Amino acid sequence: MMSAHSLIVEPFETLAFMRAALVACLALALCNGAVGTLLVLRRMSLDGDVLGHAVMPGAAIGFLYAGPSPAWLSLGGLASGLAVAALAGLIAGGQARRDAGLVAFYLVALSLGVVLVAWRGSNVDVMRVLFGTVLAIDQRALLQIAATSSVIVLAIAALYRPLAVGAFDPPFLRAVRARAPYGAVFQALVVLALVASFQAFGTLLAVGPLLLPAAAARCWGLGVLASMALATGFGFAASVAGLLASYHANLPSGPAIVLAAGLLFGISLGATSGVRRLAPMIGREG
Amino acid sequence: MEGNGRVLLREVTVRYGRRVALEAVSGEFASGSLTAVVGANGAGKTTLLAAIAGAVSLSGGAVNCAARERLAYLPQLATIDRDYPLTVSELITLGGWREFGAFRSPGAAMRARTTAVAEAVGLAGRLRQPICGISAGELQRALFARLILQDAAVILLDEPFAAVDAQTVEVLLDQMAQWRQEGRTVIAVLHDLDLVRARFPSTLVLARRCIAWGRTEVALSAVAA
Repeated sequence: MMSAHSLIVEPFETLAFMRAALVACLALALCNGAVGTLLVLRRMSLDGDVLGHAVMPGAAIGFLYAGPSPAWLSLGGLASGLAVAALAGLIAGGQARRDAGLVAFYLVALSLGVVLVAWRGSNVDVMRVLFGTVLAIDQRALLQIAATSSVIVLAIAALYRPLAVGAFDPPFLRAVRARAPYGAVFQALVVLALVASFQAFGTLLAVGPLLLPAAAARCWGLGVLASMALATGFGFAASVAGLLASYHANLPSGPAIVLAAGLLFGISLGATSGVRRLAPMIGREG
Repeated sequence: MEGNGRVLLREVTVRYGRRVALEAVSGEFASGSLTAVVGANGAGKTTLLAAIAGAVSLSGGAVNCAARERLAYLPQLATIDRDYPLTVSELITLGGWREFGAFRSPGAAMRARTTAVAEAVGLAGRLRQPICGISAGELQRALFARLILQDAAVILLDEPFAAVDAQTVEVLLDQMAQWRQEGRTVIAVLHDLDLVRARFPSTLVLARRCIAWGRTEVALSAVAA
């Protein structure tokens, strides 16, 4: 029988890479909780998914140029993510067939990225770009993740009101002549958050830790700030659970974390709809 | 309220791709006028409001609205996300945005005004409710309260009475009459022609083009003929 200590604490105590992964996941949970909540409130989950893949071709070009260096992967990813966000904004100006256009971006970006990486790299490199390497985060990557996450959290704290109102009622923001293009600022923050997650979760999974904890938190019907805090907590809990599961059961760590977040979403969905159905029976007002 | 709420349309044309939504609409909403905009579905009513608000780019013509800095726009109720975690009080207080902006706190005076306008539209007891917990009529009242705080010279309303109970319609009509007395220009997209005849002095009939525009009885008789 394993003690709680050896089950939960020991993996992080003995292995430096587990500690680095844990700290990286905490930093990511902080920015993902805030960005993800706004993304879910804006009903832009699909956009988040697309932007996650938009990071791919740029990261691949960074890889071709400098090999698997976190800085070049991130810079390339940032550039192509922002470019696609701007392009999608231009196309969405026409409104029509918006989701089909987004999905086209998603597929083209993903395929282009894989082709570029496979051209010069190995299958291992392709897997790394697609699914990330949360257990191979060195100190430089860790600092980069922490710095990016801090910038995002500070930006959201400073621009909280216009970002929250823009998620609720964009015409109102336009009518009161809020001059800054807050929609574009928010898209840039989404791309930044995805770039921060890219090293740990890869282009396919980065959207998971961004959206799932936020979607789970949203089930509980809290205010915007409380939802952000809960999403951060969920994100961190999923990270700890996923890392431990990957350690003990020898599972791939990124997918294990995303699965744990998905489990939290399922539980939240089930629990809140259960409460909603039971509440009238107990005689409380629903 | 000084009389600068005039809105002048000159050959206003809006296209979405190849589809023409508005074609060469010209005319004037006088400062302090109360006008109903009527027409079939797809007649360009919402597009007209968006063009006045500067929310769509014109394919031709011009909108001259000196008070564009002091313009308020109420979208159709159905476009409001009622699941958004916001209380009635927070929603109404947003109307004071010009005073506290993106960064400052609304302050005690603004909170007192929120309470006052909530009372004016009959929402005094609802301030702490989340907007998902109130009826469609109450939400529309809250949005009107937000409009009152916005203190706009030009007020655009897109189907303000859709899905709203009769009692609320009366409250909202009274508010619109009061805005007119205060010298604000009110432009409302409406469907109920009997209501337009009874309460709106002027009417614009749209069918992509301007069919008739003027005193309500004259404009609507042009349609019937």
